[in-house]
Amino acid sequence: MEAPLYFLQQVINGLTIGSTYALIAIGYTMVYGIIGMINFAHGEIYMIATYVAFIVIAGLSMMGIDSTIFLMVAALIVAIIVASAHAFAVERVAYRPVRGSKRLIALISAIGMSIFLQNYMLLAQGSRDKAIGNILPGGWHFSGGDFTVVLSYMQVIIFAVTLISMLLLAAFISRSKLGRACRACSQDRGMANLLGINTDLVISMTFVIGAALAAVAGLLLGMYYGVVNPYIGFLAGLKAFTAAVLGGIGSIPGAVLGGLLLGVAEALTGGYLSTEYNDVVSFGLLILILLFRPWGILGKPEVEKI
Amino acid sequence: MKKVMRKSLLALGVSAAGLVSMSAQADIPIAIAGPVTGPVAQYGDMQTIGAKMAIEQINKAGGVNGEMLKGVIYDDVCEPKQAVAVANQIVNDGIQFVIGHLCSSSTQPASDIYYEEGILMISPASTNPAITEAGYDTIFRTIGRDDAQGPVAGTFIAEQIKPERMAIIHDKQQYGQGVATAVKETVEEAGINVVVFEGITAGQQNYSSLISKLKLNNVDFVYYGGYHPELGLILRQSAELGLDAQFMGPEGVGNPDISKIAGEASEGLLVTLPKAFETDPANADLVAAFEAKDQDPSGPFVMPAYTAVQVIAEGMEATDSTDPFEVAEYLHENTFDTPIGKVDFDEKGDLEEFEFVVYRWHADGTKTPVNTDKAQTGSEETATE
Repeated sequence: MEAPLYFLQQVINGLTIGSTYALIAIGYTMVYGIIGMINFAHGEIYMIATYVAFIVIAGLSMMGIDSTIFLMVAALIVAIIVASAHAFAVERVAYRPVRGSKRLIALISAIGMSIFLQNYMLLAQGSRDKAIGNILPGGWHFSGGDFTVVLSYMQVIIFAVTLISMLLLAAFISRSKLGRACRACSQDRGMANLLGINTDLVISMTFVIGAALAAVAGLLLGMYYGVVNPYIGFLAGLKAFTAAVLGGIGSIPGAVLGGLLLGVAEALTGGYLSTEYNDVVSFGLLILILLFRPWGILGKPEVEKI
Repeated sequence: MKKVMRKSLLALGVSAAGLVSMSAQADIPIAIAGPVTGPVAQYGDMQTIGAKMAIEQINKAGGVNGEMLKGVIYDDVCEPKQAVAVANQIVNDGIQFVIGHLCSSSTQPASDIYYEEGILMISPASTNPAITEAGYDTIFRTIGRDDAQGPVAGTFIAEQIKPERMAIIHDKQQYGQGVATAVKETVEEAGINVVVFEGITAGQQNYSSLISKLKLNNVDFVYYGGYHPELGLILRQSAELGLDAQFMGPEGVGNPDISKIAGEASEGLLVTLPKAFETDPANADLVAAFEAKDQDPSGPFVMPAYTAVQVIAEGMEATDSTDPFEVAEYLHENTFDTPIGKVDFDEKGDLEEFEFVVYRWHADGTKTPVNTDKAQTGSEETATE
């Protein structure tokens, strides 16, 4: 009885972390799908959102508000607004002016922005870990034999909120006017422009949506871990980027699948091999995919346009 | 012509005056190198306040051979690459005495450069044995070694705790892995069953798969080699995932921030720390001086950093020189009375004697010494903070 329960526990652990990778990965994949660049500052947007969520939760708690739902919703709204504003500003300042030039220039601009945002938070908040208490402790315990599987309330919240966000995004992309414009832009930006779509607006909105999802991930992971520092964006961004490439960069379902896959692969590696091999396995997976299926699991092979 | 003469004479006079005042103020710079920013910056703060206090007090008492000491702070962020850059900068700035670095993985590469350039370095915090094993005669430390700390922890575990199934986790860095390995060797010699020995990545936030594995292995005792940000998260997530085990760590986790991160889960954590020098009655005046400046003298590296500056100053005074080699030779040959007790360097630059004590950590960020006297197992002295 122990072995299957242990496996179940590791899968739960993996799906929890994987769904947050997926939330961040969507930001990478959407931007890539529309303007063909990797927004390396996206991990920092997630980090900023986590700080904002912490500040809101700490501030409201100090004012004596202790309703978990209220704290979460308030933190979520403020984090989404602040993160979106940052992403919007980053696009305007660092990407739009270089959009016409070579890809490498936009890439360097993105890396510069990432360093800037990290140091900007470092100056504003200091380099030490900031922590908040656990506002949603506890969970369900399933016992079988010697091993108890724990599904914490926070993990359930992470699954549920991620699922809701994905459904909302899917509905937005497939049903709304702006979503249709997004799809048009990703197919052919020049043509979409000729047909009267405001492509600048669509690109800005893409950054804003990506940032909003990163803010959701920031709040969820912030509450789950309870700790934030200015460096968390780097690793989270790297993992999410890996997930996006794994699933097929440019494809939204691909990002989700890639994120979940990566999370589960990491948890199982940690559970059955050794935590030391976590990064070996995740980046090994990436290399394998790039070797044998460079367009990713759900991506489409790119046809060279002549 | 006359006018020109007078002008140039005046200029000469001014420059001469400048020269005189320069030589009177020619401070002796001492580099203080460690993390000023980054996740373990609070340890850097401990080193800085200790060294700065020593410099201030020595200067107030007339300086060294009539010259003033001047502390110059360098930030290595506890990153080996940055530490090399900092060391090269210290060389370029012409500084010949270094207090630091703090993280063993930074101190190690930096010490190679200092030795090659003939710079005297005293680390008040780096405990990895390899640093002084290279046999550099200008490299010292005013803290114990992991192969002294590891056995203290290991012996305590084997004699007092006697865990059934123990796990040892480390952060794969020189310091953490070093002390974890030393603990492993000691407890295995005593016949303790170590069922998990594994490394994590510093900066990682998710430990759920590791903790589930510890649960599967029915681990009842976990030793962690590394720093507080990671252990804090491990403690917090262990409580959440229902791992019921006693945790223990080296002085790198003994920091009030661990209680901020882990909250209630940090209650009862065992930590090996240098003896609490601030409770030594001989240091009462010094403690008062720190408190007057609203600084905390209880950090494990504060007094060792103070001591490092003090022995350098005494060496300069006694040899009447600022030559690092002469000072180093003097340090090797003499003993010093310092806030951390009698300091006597062996030929490697290690302290002949340095004591580590086991403390029990509390959720409010305080600590109480655990009585390791076997006759009184279980009884604990009252709070010292």
